[in-house]
Amino acid sequence: MLTELQKCVELGEKIGAEFVEARFEDLTLRTLSRVNDVWKDVILRSRAGIGIVCYYGGASGYSFTSSEEDKELERTVTRACKMAKASANAASLKLDFDRRTPLKSQKSDTFQVKTHPKTEDLGYKTDLVNRTVDKARECGKSISSIIGRYGELYGRKLFTNSEGSVIDWNFELADLQCRVTSKTTSGSLVNGGAQAGGTLGLEHFNTKGSTPEDIGEEAGTYAKEQIRAKACSAGKFRALIENRLAGVLAHESFGHLSEGDFIVVGESPLAGKIGAKLGTKNATIVDYGTPDISKFGGLWLPYDDQGMKASRTVILNEGVLEHYLHNRGTAKYLKQEPTANCRAVHFGFMPIPRMTNTYFTAGDLTKEEALESLDTGVYAIQTSGGQVGGDGSFLFKAERGYWVQNGEIKEPIREVSLSGNILNLLSNVEGGTKDLHLEAGYFGGCGKGGQFPLPCGLGGPELVIREVTFGGKAG
Amino acid sequence: MKYENLKDELLSAVDSGLKYARTIDGKAEFELYLFYEHATKVKISQGVVDATDGSVEGNAIRVAKDNMVSFASSSGISVERIKRSINEALSSLRAVSIKDERFKGFCKPKRPGKEGVFTKEILNLSEETLINIARDTVKEAQEFDKRIHAVESECSAEWGGFAVGNTNGLQQASRSALNGCEVACIAVKEEERRTAYEFDITRERLIKTSGIGTKAAQKAVSLLDAKKLNKTTVLPTIWVPIAAASYIVASLGQSTSGGSVVEGLSPLGDKIGQEIADSRLTIIDDGQNPTGINTEAIDAEGYPQQKTTIIEKGRIKQFLFDSYYAQIYGTESTGNCTRQTRIFGSSIPYETSPQIQFKNFAVEPGNKNLDALIASIDGQAILIVDIPIGIFHSDVSTGEFSAVAQSAFLVEDCEKKWPLEPVSVSGDFYNGLKQLRDVGGDLEKTVFTVETPTLVFDGFSIVG
Repeated sequence: MLTELQKCVELGEKIGAEFVEARFEDLTLRTLSRVNDVWKDVILRSRAGIGIVCYYGGASGYSFTSSEEDKELERTVTRACKMAKASANAASLKLDFDRRTPLKSQKSDTFQVKTHPKTEDLGYKTDLVNRTVDKARECGKSISSIIGRYGELYGRKLFTNSEGSVIDWNFELADLQCRVTSKTTSGSLVNGGAQAGGTLGLEHFNTKGSTPEDIGEEAGTYAKEQIRAKACSAGKFRALIENRLAGVLAHESFGHLSEGDFIVVGESPLAGKIGAKLGTKNATIVDYGTPDISKFGGLWLPYDDQGMKASRTVILNEGVLEHYLHNRGTAKYLKQEPTANCRAVHFGFMPIPRMTNTYFTAGDLTKEEALESLDTGVYAIQTSGGQVGGDGSFLFKAERGYWVQNGEIKEPIREVSLSGNILNLLSNVEGGTKDLHLEAGYFGGCGKGGQFPLPCGLGGPELVIREVTFGGKAG
Repeated sequence: MKYENLKDELLSAVDSGLKYARTIDGKAEFELYLFYEHATKVKISQGVVDATDGSVEGNAIRVAKDNMVSFASSSGISVERIKRSINEALSSLRAVSIKDERFKGFCKPKRPGKEGVFTKEILNLSEETLINIARDTVKEAQEFDKRIHAVESECSAEWGGFAVGNTNGLQQASRSALNGCEVACIAVKEEERRTAYEFDITRERLIKTSGIGTKAAQKAVSLLDAKKLNKTTVLPTIWVPIAAASYIVASLGQSTSGGSVVEGLSPLGDKIGQEIADSRLTIIDDGQNPTGINTEAIDAEGYPQQKTTIIEKGRIKQFLFDSYYAQIYGTESTGNCTRQTRIFGSSIPYETSPQIQFKNFAVEPGNKNLDALIASIDGQAILIVDIPIGIFHSDVSTGEFSAVAQSAFLVEDCEKKWPLEPVSVSGDFYNGLKQLRDVGGDLEKTVFTVETPTLVFDGFSIVG
């Protein structure tokens, strides 16, 4: 396939492109989903295709195909080149980039897991889900629904370009989840969920806290607890934000605003603010494609879809904005180094600036010290996602939480949303715990520019933040 | 692939695939879904131009035998790729016993419905034309006001179709075309940033883009000089059509799905015939609306799309079904099987297993225009003029929602006053439907494939 891609690059240059990138992916996606006693999804997807980016006059054009036939590849390159030339005529803001030394990937660039998902049969994986659901079922008579899900995504990603770079590596992601819905005595429904996912081998599901039984029990227990949980009052409170939720804050509220394409066009409130003090010294946010997965978890992304090698980008350093997340063009335009953040959800899309693993770095508090520091407020845990507006407004859902009084965890509270403006929130971060935890998932993912769901890692320590707006019940 | 031959080519491939499948296992049931879509998309953002042109094509197989069902898909619609999916689906089925006792077979053949209307001009929209349209809309917005800081315009032209066949003898296909333009802009004044969005998406005519840029810019600028609400309270909320549509999707999009009902996830599940909303609320799902974005002759398993009344005068009349959940529930499919959602974008239809989704929701309008609705409010209310952030991060089972209205105005003593800094709006979707205070007459088509007027609710908590 490398030969075919190299031919595409040659053809693109021959018909006038100034620079060509050709990539091929051959991915396998497996989804297993059991709802109560019924297997809802037993799905295997094979996703193979080629994407071509042609650059011309500071603009780009993209085309793609799922065919590997020579004639279709020629048509694809021609289309991409034609789109680039048409774009160049209309582009008033050019995003050129400099040529660099070609990169060659190594075998060691692929993360090695002990038990790769492709080595185990379907029965092994359905058993993981069955064990999860069976354990969750033990958690009470009020359960109205249990969903157990397993997902895996793996396969080859091959890339070459006009510089002669050859990047050839294998992506891998596995995920086991459980969601339990219980009915309260008044008839309303409440949820509990648990998950373990990221670039990991199936051996991970034998480790404490991530076994199917642990995941099922956790989801069931939380759903049971939610039966007696009360709605959180609306208003502003001090908050302790658990790791996963801290990750959503880092990703959704801040990470997106730091993406180079939003910066160059001035859409982000972070544009032109390099060096500005935006948060407290306790707020450091990093994006890193190859974190220490075995220690912290997360997603392994040694290269982006523009052939750049992963780097550790400190976006916010102790409250000061240091760097944006780039593709090659936005990096040059903003006079920064490329950060290997150019990614596409699949071959049908042009790669654009996206995050890899985005997280708050760890602080120095123990859990007890964090609760003590919180004093009275909301301990917000887990998340079902969030959203951010172009002005920095955000809303995140904590799936559950507790009311904390004088440093002691009191009654559980129902799903609660946190909202506000990220720049205000960063200036209210008082501290973080020592434990850094990253997570990624097969189900869901990041959405941007119509590209959804892109797997991303996120996380952090637990964060103590003052003055957080909680949407709940007024009065 | 040409639009004219699309259905024939897809149906021919379906026929070949099914013949091959039968030779592999004559006792199994097979369903084959083929998808093809060609799209040209152009985005201009502050002078940066991105353009994409390509075709998404792929196949999906479902195999059933002895109450076991498996699914496999692959990109491409060549015979080899189809065979690959068939073999992988069969291989999954043979590998492990994964019974679904509720499965009673694939869709039976029925006379298809009608495809929606479309203008052939969409097929001839070139990248140059789309670039010019995008450039004009950006220019229009920029020229409206100096405070318009960033404008992004995205234009697209797409056409395609799908075919479904199964071993019950069903073989049907449907095709459609769409063109659209979306303009987003940001108005900036010192540290204040306000965003606004306008669009036109149609199938029956070419997009009318003149004025879209101006409208988006006008909206963004009107939100500047926002004041803090400075209180936590309960107030009436007025949701203009685009905001109301997001409420309808978030609250009823999933809870009226027969799948949520059967699986015990919808609190509306045991309320057929009961009053779940104010009597002014009537909602239909019309999969045969000629100009509806999701209108097709058949749904994603080959069942004819149709018109279904969901809520009539506040009472829940019918849930939406595909054939799988319909037979479990003891009813007929409503032709709502889907493999993609145009609402949230980019899932690849052939990679998605069949699920239930409304096609084109329509809310029956009342009589008052927006001014009259505002004039009917004594005291204070919040006017929400865009999609609140986080509205879709709500849970179908609890109905609890919390969202941030970043484009909102204060209404006081029957008048629209000033723009507000973002306010948090929260409550329970289902209680909200009961506390519907008014239904406007200003019916609008929205990007969510929901046609709705302004809706006014009582009882939501506001933090601002």
